[in-house]
Amino acid sequence: MSIRPAAALGAVALLAAVLAGPARAHEGHDHGAGQPPVSKTIAPRGEALTEAFELVAVPRDGILTLFLDRFRTNEPVTGATVEVETPEGPRTATATPEGGYALPAPWLSKPGRHAFTATVTAGEDVDILAVAVTVPGGKATASTDPTASSAASMQAVTSRVSTIARGIRERLGEKDPALFGAVAVAFLLGMLTTGLARGRRSVPAVALAAIGITLVLGTAAFAHGAEDHGAEHHGAPVQGAALAEPRPGAPAASDLAQRLPDGSVFVPKPTQRLLVLRTTVTEAGIFHRSVALPGRIIPDPNASGVVQSSVGGRLAPPPPGPFPRLGTRVRKGEVLATVTPPIQAVDASDMRQTQGDLDQQISIVERRVDRYKRLATTAAVPQSQLEDAVAELKGLQDRRAALDKIRQQPEPLVAPVDGVVAQAAAVAGQMASPGQMVFQVVDPNRLWVEALSFDALTPAQDATARLADGRTLKLAYQGSGLADRNQAIPVQFAVQGDASGLRVGQFVTVLAGTDTEQTGLALPRAAVVRAGNGQDVVYEHTSAERFEARPVRIEPLDGGRVLIAEGVGPGKRVVTQGAELLDQVR
Amino acid sequence: MILPRVTLAAGLLAATAASAHETAGRHGGRVTDAGTFHVELVARGETVDVFLSDEGQRPIPAAGFKGTAILVVGGKPTRVPLEPADGNRLTGKAATALGAGPRGAVQLTGPDGGTASGTFH
Repeated sequence: MSIRPAAALGAVALLAAVLAGPARAHEGHDHGAGQPPVSKTIAPRGEALTEAFELVAVPRDGILTLFLDRFRTNEPVTGATVEVETPEGPRTATATPEGGYALPAPWLSKPGRHAFTATVTAGEDVDILAVAVTVPGGKATASTDPTASSAASMQAVTSRVSTIARGIRERLGEKDPALFGAVAVAFLLGMLTTGLARGRRSVPAVALAAIGITLVLGTAAFAHGAEDHGAEHHGAPVQGAALAEPRPGAPAASDLAQRLPDGSVFVPKPTQRLLVLRTTVTEAGIFHRSVALPGRIIPDPNASGVVQSSVGGRLAPPPPGPFPRLGTRVRKGEVLATVTPPIQAVDASDMRQTQGDLDQQISIVERRVDRYKRLATTAAVPQSQLEDAVAELKGLQDRRAALDKIRQQPEPLVAPVDGVVAQAAAVAGQMASPGQMVFQVVDPNRLWVEALSFDALTPAQDATARLADGRTLKLAYQGSGLADRNQAIPVQFAVQGDASGLRVGQFVTVLAGTDTEQTGLALPRAAVVRAGNGQDVVYEHTSAERFEARPVRIEPLDGGRVLIAEGVGPGKRVVTQGAELLDQVR
Repeated sequence: MILPRVTLAAGLLAATAASAHETAGRHGGRVTDAGTFHVELVARGETVDVFLSDEGQRPIPAAGFKGTAILVVGGKPTRVPLEPADGNRLTGKAATALGAGPRGAVQLTGPDGGTASGTFH
């Protein structure tokens, strides 16, 4: 009966040995203290963060490649000076065409943990970053870092225990023949050892033990080889599904973006640059809820005007040249056209009659004035009589002159404001009716938007307008009407800033703030992507090359932004550009 | 026997996690983690002193260590080579006065060739 416990003990010991062997050989793939290993296909790497920069160091084939990005925006930093403190002294890395910085680093090929500092000078910003890279290297790993503390070894032990446990689980699940073989042989071996201890049939027992050990080692070696083989085959489809092209066989020259088992997305820096991933740091704030209103562009009433003819008449170009064309810039007071009122036949005969009357009266009064002048010197005619006659003559002459002028002088049509001719209906010789609009002059830099609102808006709130092409305009509230138009209130806003490319009458969507206040984080609309299960997620940049999807609840905010009501806290780096590409990484 | 060891290990782990931030050191400088060491940086005038200790703040003899301090002085990085001095102290001299609390990093090479580095913000 005492045989079974001993045999069972032997089985357990041998099982541990068989499983611990492969586990130790793979330990070197652990490259970050708290991070799970990314994959066997990913080169070892180290990263460092400061308030300004994010640095990733990747040693590969004796070359250390450094990727430097802005911490907040994830924008690559080019043109910086990167000096690395190597065992041979400080060395400056040279910029590569891929936007990284490269440095020959043969000292990094030695397995173990390498810590070095990089001094980064980019314009005004100077930062010193400490990077640690653990280079895997089979069995040499353990001996290279004798400074490892008890805490570190505790961590290593914990990770190995978990690796072994995982290994057992996997193998039990796969019904691994090596596992069952090892258990069976170990049980036999335990029985043999017990027999050996009792001193009976010692020679065959030893021989059997030798055969058993050989078998076990052979099985273990076979299992190890098979596992690596399997890993290669399992790894290949994953590479193919990732963004870069798969390179089976030899170790890949570049790392591949992939989704890790924990759901986070690993994107190497070169791929991040290809995808142009940009981030922003979230900030909590109070925002006003916005409503979308239909609107259209109108000219600023104070900076636009129409040119109308006050009388009916024949249109003619202005004296210096032709009619102003559409788009011509005109100044206030500039003559744009002239209108010559036509004279009807009745009017003409009336005028001719009046003219004759006036001419007759003028000649009579002229003679009288001459006579009075002569007589006035002898005081036969009072001076006052002479003055009356002179005044009468002058009045008659004025009336005659005005009659001539009306017959000859056309009415000038002048621009009421500075601006650009927006409408021109003038054709030479055309008869314009009184009140007809001949030109419209608009100042293209001063445009308004008129929107129809169904609720009263807060005057203090400014609004934005979204054009059909996705452009947004900043608007300043000007006023709203009290009289309903189509069951809605017309609200007017002034376009602020650059109004080029807009045209009068263009339709826009106005997003105006309301009184309702909301707290949350404002993020660009492009930061939110819809996950496969229909949930809205944003991608948080958790470490230099890792992104984690965070489910969020969003609320509309304005044309370009949404409000994250829940799901992400302030002070997190969230992907604002390229999130939908990141979502495609499998 | 097992329980105290587990407690000790857990304490050390907690200490490693908690000491990720800079704290004040016993020599009046700033302390940061450099690999498995604690490094205290004291910059007075042109002199840079670096004190080595383990997680339990026990001094580690500086003999055999080599080091470099890179500090930002007046917006420019300054490299200061460090040589072992007495006890757990490495020392070096910069070309110019360093000012109060300069930003930078310390890189250390142990007697066995292992490297460690820590930053001071």
